[in-house]
Amino acid sequence: MAADFWTSSQFKQLLDPEELNVVHPLDKERGITAEDYKLIKFHISNYIVKLAQYIKVRQRVVATAITYMRRVYTRRSMTEYNPRLVAPTCLYLAAKAEESTVQARLLAFYIKKVQSDEKYRCEIKEILEMEMKILEALNYYLVVFHPYRSLTQLLQDAGMSDSTQQTWGLVNDTYKMDLILVHPPHLIALACIYIASVQKDKENTAWFEELRVDMNVVKNIAMEILDFYDSYKLMSDENRISAAMNKLP
Amino acid sequence: MGDGRLSNSGSNSSSKPEWLEQYDVIGKIGEGTYGLVFLAKIKSNRSKSIAIKKFKQSKDGDGVSPTAIREIMLLREISHENVVKLANVHINHADMSLYLAFDYAEHDLYEIIRHHRDKVNQSINQYTIKSILWQLLNGLNYLHSNWIVHRDLKPSNILVMGDGEEHGVVKIADFGLARIYQAPLKPLSENGVVVTIWYRAPELLLGAKHYTSAVDMWAVGCIFAELLTLKPLFQGQEVKGTPNPFQFDQLDRIFKVLGHPTQEKWPTLVNLPHWQADLQHIQERTYNNAGLYNVVHLPPKNPAYDLLSKMLEYDPRKRITATQALEHEYFRMEPFPGCNALVPPQPGEKVVNYPTRPVDTSTDIEGTISLQPSQPVSSGNTMSGAHVMQNRSIPRPMPMVGMQRMQPPGIPAYNLASQAGMGGGVNPGGMPMQRGVSAQAHQQQQMRRKDPGMGMTGYPPQQKNKRF
Repeated sequence: MAADFWTSSQFKQLLDPEELNVVHPLDKERGITAEDYKLIKFHISNYIVKLAQYIKVRQRVVATAITYMRRVYTRRSMTEYNPRLVAPTCLYLAAKAEESTVQARLLAFYIKKVQSDEKYRCEIKEILEMEMKILEALNYYLVVFHPYRSLTQLLQDAGMSDSTQQTWGLVNDTYKMDLILVHPPHLIALACIYIASVQKDKENTAWFEELRVDMNVVKNIAMEILDFYDSYKLMSDENRISAAMNKLP
Repeated sequence: MGDGRLSNSGSNSSSKPEWLEQYDVIGKIGEGTYGLVFLAKIKSNRSKSIAIKKFKQSKDGDGVSPTAIREIMLLREISHENVVKLANVHINHADMSLYLAFDYAEHDLYEIIRHHRDKVNQSINQYTIKSILWQLLNGLNYLHSNWIVHRDLKPSNILVMGDGEEHGVVKIADFGLARIYQAPLKPLSENGVVVTIWYRAPELLLGAKHYTSAVDMWAVGCIFAELLTLKPLFQGQEVKGTPNPFQFDQLDRIFKVLGHPTQEKWPTLVNLPHWQADLQHIQERTYNNAGLYNVVHLPPKNPAYDLLSKMLEYDPRKRITATQALEHEYFRMEPFPGCNALVPPQPGEKVVNYPTRPVDTSTDIEGTISLQPSQPVSSGNTMSGAHVMQNRSIPRPMPMVGMQRMQPPGIPAYNLASQAGMGGGVNPGGMPMQRGVSAQAHQQQQMRRKDPGMGMTGYPPQQKNKRF
């Protein structure tokens, strides 16, 4: 259902963590590894964020675009679906789905500003063709629920409205990982609030206990986020990224 | 769909896209600004008819039309007996065309009303009206409880299934303008969309900035009256080509029947832009001849009249909701609404045989599909005479409305800057956490619960089992 997460296609499609980063046979042939998958998706997510800054779309559009991109690579190879083209196309499609349509012409123009590397250049026609391939790869499921929706309300309820910006930033960073494909969005929101409250030394145990949610799951998500920050330097190492990207056609 | 059977077009060299092989296309049944609609049979199950809606490429070279995207997006998530079923989506990559395949409905309210008015010159029987209205409200109640507003309800968008398992079942169709209203919606006019004004709620005509589900209820009221009288209730002359939602003639017709709106009846009226601006001196006009019951020929005490007048309530906040309407006395008295609107349950009642939808067999879908990239659509049609059907004649242009225009970009971005802040590569705060916290230790926490609001409605029937 469109407004109820528990009956949504997103809930039905949630993946087990071991279903992620299964390297497609075509990519294996090129020597691409599961670690490369993570790096490439991380890099491509950042690319989508940068493009979005130029074309000026809401954060929700960015989040939807990254979710589309991550869903595509649970089913399709990077060899056939070049991430350099998939990134702007997912943003293009997400903008339509989230009612803030962006012209393909404009995207093609900003790509040149964001990425000096020739390999990222693309024709308008390529974006339009890829849009259809992505629709197909997504099996036409386009509604995405995000943690942002419940965030403000939860923060208010927890008496942590002053941490809104910090928590919002944490949520943004969760899109650099595959969390949105694995967990219900409100649990991701809670994990970010959990991290924020520990950082602020805010005693929130009682509040969390009163929520009817599995705190194990929330804490595990928080752990994953923190692990991600631990590996952040390694993940953003330019040399490693370009080594992974260079395995692509 | 969803079982991996969604086909992609063949990159093979055969004469038609692979997905088309599963259908026998009979002919064209409709045409609109969005594209064309074809009637087809499924080869493996000849009893099943499908309506294939072909979307044109958007003119400005901007890929799949946003209308198609929204329609797919919503229909892929919803499922209800009174909402049209999206059976499949197909893509022809060569000419970048997109096709939505729906379960076919033989009739629609536009044709049913027209048949009674122009052909049999007889009103629709009370059972049929009540059953249609109940099913329409039932579908709408489902949409509204899922925060979807349809925004373009009109007789031609309300389908009725023909012979078969679902005979007489009403289906709400055409979701190209429908929206999930978790965020306030901008008026259609701001997106350059033109829709029929006859079913448009007065708050929109007066420039209300946001849509609510009440606009759909107004349209249902207009449709209800039209089923009763066979004439559009408020048949205003549309002023075309204006971005302004103010349509004086439409408002004038509404006021003539329902009386002049007053601040007493409708407190927020004074805040509406076009009431304030008072361009045509609507505030000073006198409309004292309020006579809805004269128009629909019902005594004011009649429950049908009571329900209708509650749907046509000026103040959108006082207007009856779909949930409330389903509980109305009108549906609790005989004849009771059944699930086959076309066949009354009582034997002996006359059954009207509605004509089947005209099919233009001279336009074949294949003639509109290009198999070569970057080649103009060939107009040579491959008409197959075998499909010509006796009782089907020339199709009328379907009064469906699509939208092709893009809305301008320019919704301000926010909070992108916060991206930069995180990622210092440290465990912020040195979280006191361990992996694999014992499950029992937290069991009691799952039991208690404070409030159900989490931006999510409801809770899952069961939690998906995962390993962490």
